[in-house]
Amino acid sequence: MRETSIIGGAMTPFGRHAGVLAPELAQRAILDAIADAGIEKDDIQAIYCANVLGGMILGQLIVRDLGFKGIPVYNVENACASGATGVHLARHALMAQQYDTVLVLGIEQLTALGGGTIPLQRNDHKTELYAKAGMVLPAVYAMRGTRFLHERGASREDLAAIAVKNRHHGSLNEYAQQRTETTLEEVLASRMIADPLTLLQCCPSQVDGAAAVILSSRRRSAKRPVKVLASVVVSGVREQADDDILDAEITARAARQAYEQAGLGPDDVDVVELHDAFTIAELLYYEALGLADHGEAVSLLKSGATRVGGRVPVNPSGGLLSKGHPLGATGVAQMVEIMWHLRGRAGARQAQGAKVGLTQCTGGGIAGVDHAASSVHLLGV
Amino acid sequence: MSTPPYPLWSAGDPPALLASRDLERGELIFPAVPDNSPLAERHEVVAVERVGTVYTFTIIHPGAKSGLAPYALGYVDFPGPVRIFGRLQGKAQPAIGDHYEPRADAAFGYVFESVGA
Repeated sequence: MRETSIIGGAMTPFGRHAGVLAPELAQRAILDAIADAGIEKDDIQAIYCANVLGGMILGQLIVRDLGFKGIPVYNVENACASGATGVHLARHALMAQQYDTVLVLGIEQLTALGGGTIPLQRNDHKTELYAKAGMVLPAVYAMRGTRFLHERGASREDLAAIAVKNRHHGSLNEYAQQRTETTLEEVLASRMIADPLTLLQCCPSQVDGAAAVILSSRRRSAKRPVKVLASVVVSGVREQADDDILDAEITARAARQAYEQAGLGPDDVDVVELHDAFTIAELLYYEALGLADHGEAVSLLKSGATRVGGRVPVNPSGGLLSKGHPLGATGVAQMVEIMWHLRGRAGARQAQGAKVGLTQCTGGGIAGVDHAASSVHLLGV
Repeated sequence: MSTPPYPLWSAGDPPALLASRDLERGELIFPAVPDNSPLAERHEVVAVERVGTVYTFTIIHPGAKSGLAPYALGYVDFPGPVRIFGRLQGKAQPAIGDHYEPRADAAFGYVFESVGA
C-alpha cells in the first residue's frame, strides 16, 4: 500500500461571511492549499468536496471557474464527519493507486439557515417521532451532561471549564470566530439552552467556513509531508436499551481501530483536535480516545494537560466552541490545524515538539444511535 | 398528531404504549415496526410496561421570543428492557430514578407523566 500524506492545507477564517457565495468562500481555501503544497493546479487528479446542507453538485459549482480539466469531483456527506470522510475516501483512492495527488475540500454556510439547531434527518419513523417530541442535538448532549453530573459526581463548573479553556485557545487563533476569552462565571451565567448546557457551552451556529488539504502519495515539495498514519470511518450501531450513554461508543470504536491501524496508542499522541460541539462532548471524548482512563476525564482537564502548554493540548485551535462548526468544513479544518502543529507553524498555540496528532469528529442527526458517523485520523511526522 | 403508520397505542383499557419484539433476539424496539416494513415479519407487537424509570433528562429553555415555557425531555427505561425518549410532564424538576408512565397525547402521540415512587 502507498503511504499517503497531507502535503499542503489552508482554511478560511470561520465566521459570518455575509454575501459570500460558496465558490468565493471555498476557492480561497483551495488556492491557498495548492500554494502551500507547492504544486500546480493541474497536478490535482480528483477533488472530494465535503458538505452537508449546500445542495447538489456543490463541488462542481465551486471549481467550475478554477480551470480544472473535467477531473472527477466527488461530493461527500456524512453529517459533521463529512470532511474527515472526504479525506478517508481520498486516501483509499491514493492507496489503490487510482490517483497520486488529490484535493479534499470542506465547506459549510450555516448563516444561510438563519441560526438555530442543525435539523435532524426526519425521513425515519423513530427520528420523526422523537423530533416531534423535541429531540434536537443540544438536548442529546445535555442529557449526556445530566447523566455525567449524576454518575461522576462532577460539577457544572467542570463542564464550563472546557469552554473557558477552548475560548482561551481561540483567542490565540486568527481563524476562530470567537476570539475573546471568557470566565467560568460568564459561561455559567449565559442563557440556559438545554440544562445543564448554557449558551457558551454550545458551539456557535451562525458560522461559515471552508478548509482544504492536498493529499499525495508522491514527495512533491520541500515542505515536511504530514503522513496519514491511520484513517477510520465507522457508523453507529443501533442503541441497546441498557447502553451507557457516557461511553461515546462510536468514537471509542473508531479510536481503537485508528490506534491499531497506526500501531500507536493514546500515549503517543501529542496534540488533538476533537469534536467539542458542546462542553460535555470533550470530557466524554477524553475517555473514548483513551486520553484519560474511565472516570478520569475531569481529572485530566484539571491537571492542565489538555491546555496549550500541557502534555497533550486538546483543541488548541479553540475547537468547535471557539471556531464554530461549519459542518462540512470541520473535519478538514481539524487536519489543517494538526498539520500546522506538526510542521511547527501554529504560532502562539503551538504544541511544542508535536510529532503525532489526532483528529476526531462525529456526525449526529438520527435517533437510535450514539451518532450516525464518526471518523478518527492519526497524522504524524 | 395524524395516525402513524406503526401501532403506537393498544386498543385496551387502559391503552398500553406499543413496541416491537425481535422474534429471534427478543430485543424490544420503539416505536413499533410499521406493517409495510420488510422487517415486520421478524417482529411482533408487544405492550410496554406501565411504569418506567428516568435514565437521564434535560430541561429545554426556549428563547424568549418563542413565548414558550421550559419543558423537560428525557429517556425513560422500561422493563423488557426498552429505553424511550419523550416529554416528561407532571413535575417541575425531574430526577434520575423518578417513575413515569406513558399517556396518550394529541400533539406528540405520547408523553410521560410523573407517578409516585
